Amino acid sequence: MDHSFYIITWTDVFVSLSLVALCLALIKWWRIGLEKTILIGTIRAFIQLTIMGYVLTYFFGQNHWLFMVGLIIIMILIASYEATRRLDIPIKGYFAITAFSTMVTVIIVLGTILQFILDVEPWFYPYAMIPIAGMIIGNGLNSATLTTNRLVAELEHREDEIETLLSLGAPPRAAADGSIRESIRAALIPNINGLMLVGIVQIPGVMTGQIIAGVDPLIAVRYQIMIMYMWLTTATLANILTQGLVYKQFFTPLQQLKKELFRRGK
Amino acid sequence: MTDSTIFSLENVNVSFGAKHILTQITLEISSGDFFVITGPSGGGKTTLLQLLNGLASQDDGKILYRGNNVQNGNLQSLRKEVGLVFQNPVVLADTVKENLLVRQKWDKSFTISDEQLMTMLDRVGIPQGHLHLDARSLSGGEKQRIALARTMLNEPKVLLLDEPTANLDQQLAGQILDMVSNLQMGTELTIVIVCHNIQQVVKHANRAAFLIDGVIAESGVASILENPTTQTAQRFLQQAD
Repeated sequence: MDHSFYIITWTDVFVSLSLVALCLALIKWWRIGLEKTILIGTIRAFIQLTIMGYVLTYFFGQNHWLFMVGLIIIMILIASYEATRRLDIPIKGYFAITAFSTMVTVIIVLGTILQFILDVEPWFYPYAMIPIAGMIIGNGLNSATLTTNRLVAELEHREDEIETLLSLGAPPRAAADGSIRESIRAALIPNINGLMLVGIVQIPGVMTGQIIAGVDPLIAVRYQIMIMYMWLTTATLANILTQGLVYKQFFTPLQQLKKELFRRGK
Repeated sequence: MTDSTIFSLENVNVSFGAKHILTQITLEISSGDFFVITGPSGGGKTTLLQLLNGLASQDDGKILYRGNNVQNGNLQSLRKEVGLVFQNPVVLADTVKENLLVRQKWDKSFTISDEQLMTMLDRVGIPQGHLHLDARSLSGGEKQRIALARTMLNEPKVLLLDEPTANLDQQLAGQILDMVSNLQMGTELTIVIVCHNIQQVVKHANRAAFLIDGVIAESGVASILENPTTQTAQRFLQQAD
């Protein structure tokens, strides 16, 4: 079997546009009415990814740890800002909470992968550090923000239960425990289902890419396993850290539920 | 304020946004009182109970519990000593027993012997066979009793009851009030009860207040419940009839 590395040329990329053309033709035929959006999406994806390719090439050429760490911090800050905008209701201090939670998650997960699994040399080897950090930041924040919205809904739904527990002398953490646990459980179920089903129905994305690029499937599998475990740990860490701080924003220093926060969101 | 004063409120104001909920509330509640607060719906009665339990805060004015400012002390201890039973009692998605022992989830030192648990069930009138049933499957009256027992297991010095009979028929309401009154026997337990049905509660009360549109229209001995002297309180009674 030939394990050669197939290189896609720009001409090949343009040929792949024929698939989009087929898609557009079908959309038009069925009068679904998304032609313009699809065209914009197609062009944006092309431009954004091309720019990203050049940016990554530039960054990969910079061989200084301070540069890489600075870049990861900027990535975390931008992603935290985006996460703050995706909240259903504004939460005081959310930017700082997500930035902190993501930072800790990145240190633990990325540190483990670079130092103990990939054993890269130098420890900030850009080809490993930047893409993996990107995956951790993106997945962690995405999951944590969805969970935060769920947590807010749970706190609102369980308002009477929380006040009952507070009235019995429960500290806010215990009063909000049901809401916190339920929202984190809901967040982790897709990750757990992913672990259960991976390799049965489809070949996952990372593996597909590696196999096409000529990597032995047995090696690609090991990468995929590591990434699946990384996603689960990232989601768990990011959610526990984030929700562990977010719930506090819904209680006053006098341990009362800030019910007005739910009302203002309406 | 006398030695027996358990709660003392002085010029307490509460508002939510532009809306005044309680205005210049001044009130004293003594240890062992069966204190009835009555008045029309939306008059601030529930907020007043929540202030006493520390679940709500005043904008200004002073609330003293046994001489200490409610907001300066340990709120968790206050809430254990000043139990609050809500108008629509919440039972957790668990068995009756788990509901009663919920405090163990955050207070590992909280232990109750089976004997104490059974005694409490008897006091509030829950059959012992209900202990392992799902609390959500019980009737409104039974949930009310579970909420009461759950609060009483904290051994409170003050029991705040928000319309405990609002959703019950006349006969069941009478039973609940008799049972509540019996809880006081041989103890220094203070009961503050919000109730708009005066006939149901008057025989148990020793002191009372009319809270109308966020203002104490009248307060004093329990007989004012049937013969108030102020026009505002009289008007409320006429409308209630």
